[in-house]
Amino acid sequence: MTDWLGLSAAPRTPRPELKGRVLARALAPRRRWRGPLAAAAMITLVMGGGGGAWWAYRTIGTLTTERDGLVARVQALEDTVSTFIHGPATRLIQIPVSTGGRVGSVTIFADSVRHRWLVRCDGLAPNARDQAYQLWFITDSGMTTAAVMPMDEDKPMVMALEMPRGGEGDPRVLGAAMSIEPRAGSASPSGPMVFHRLL
Amino acid sequence: MTSPKRLSQEHQRSLQRRLKAGDEHALGELFDLVAPWILGLAFRILQDEDEAEDVVGDVFVQVWRHIDQHDGGRGPLVPWILSIARNRSLDALRRRRRWWRKSAHLEQAQVMEGGGSAPAASHEAAVPGWPVHREVHAALAALSEEQRRVVVLSYFEGLSHREIAQRLHLPLGTVKTRLRMAHQTLTEGLRHLKDWVE
Repeated sequence: MTDWLGLSAAPRTPRPELKGRVLARALAPRRRWRGPLAAAAMITLVMGGGGGAWWAYRTIGTLTTERDGLVARVQALEDTVSTFIHGPATRLIQIPVSTGGRVGSVTIFADSVRHRWLVRCDGLAPNARDQAYQLWFITDSGMTTAAVMPMDEDKPMVMALEMPRGGEGDPRVLGAAMSIEPRAGSASPSGPMVFHRLL
Repeated sequence: MTSPKRLSQEHQRSLQRRLKAGDEHALGELFDLVAPWILGLAFRILQDEDEAEDVVGDVFVQVWRHIDQHDGGRGPLVPWILSIARNRSLDALRRRRRWWRKSAHLEQAQVMEGGGSAPAASHEAAVPGWPVHREVHAALAALSEEQRRVVVLSYFEGLSHREIAQRLHLPLGTVKTRLRMAHQTLTEGLRHLKDWVE
């Protein structure tokens, strides 16, 4: 219960640039080599001469190994994305939608092995201030919420979702739907339906 | 006055699922929702804007990389994030204390606050979670001055029971008793809080 005590402190509006800085830092790949690199550079400066050259040689070797490791990781990530999009277990569902008098589309890459969805929404009309799009899983036990997506700007939205696995006690996903709901989302669809599709 | 925004449990669960699935857009939404509270808590503890902003960065890095460690069954997302913010802030405070005694600025600010947190200005009422802030603040204010003092020293300054006893020139047993009674009162007063419910 004491964890709530943090809310007794007065909120402070962050400076506008803080969000970009914080997100960039959080989303940046981990660069563990920066510390060792700085230390190595410092030692190199101090020692100088032959010893410095030896350290530089070692540092370059370490960095080369690190670089190769990072390249391998990037390739692995590319493979993962490629597998996700092109894998035989991935179904591609493209759903044309009409919102606010304009035509758009919702594209779902459904990976039935990893139980993940990659959802891209294009051309959806921005929401009214008190509304949001809400994505639903249609399951054998009814509709369950997948995501609430307040859309304030006229630009595509991409999101990754974990889907119910359909195991014991877990509903089986039969399809997807999207509706327009109050900004905070709803427990069950109550607003206008954007699409309703069985997979 | 702007009507307070509220974050529903549904929205929070949705955010949590998307964060666990690695949805970067969800992290931006989470920032909009909770950053004012993290910054407020960190500033309350550190009394330094730059250090508080560093804490906000640390918290979001930890949330993004370790969201899988949050067990939704054991509690909602916001208190979990606040506990990270508090721990990070206290870490920074302890680091600072190791190098120099608490600065005169910090002492002065805390004396001015009289050991309790000031209620937020009304212009912040549009921040999500505002109604919960009012309830928590009221629960804290409802404690006796003696109890509130030990809670503030424990929670916001991270002092141990022994350190609180030394600071207030009280027997250790008295400090423990006051903290226990305050905890019971707060638990009772905030029992209905499950999350930032609608």
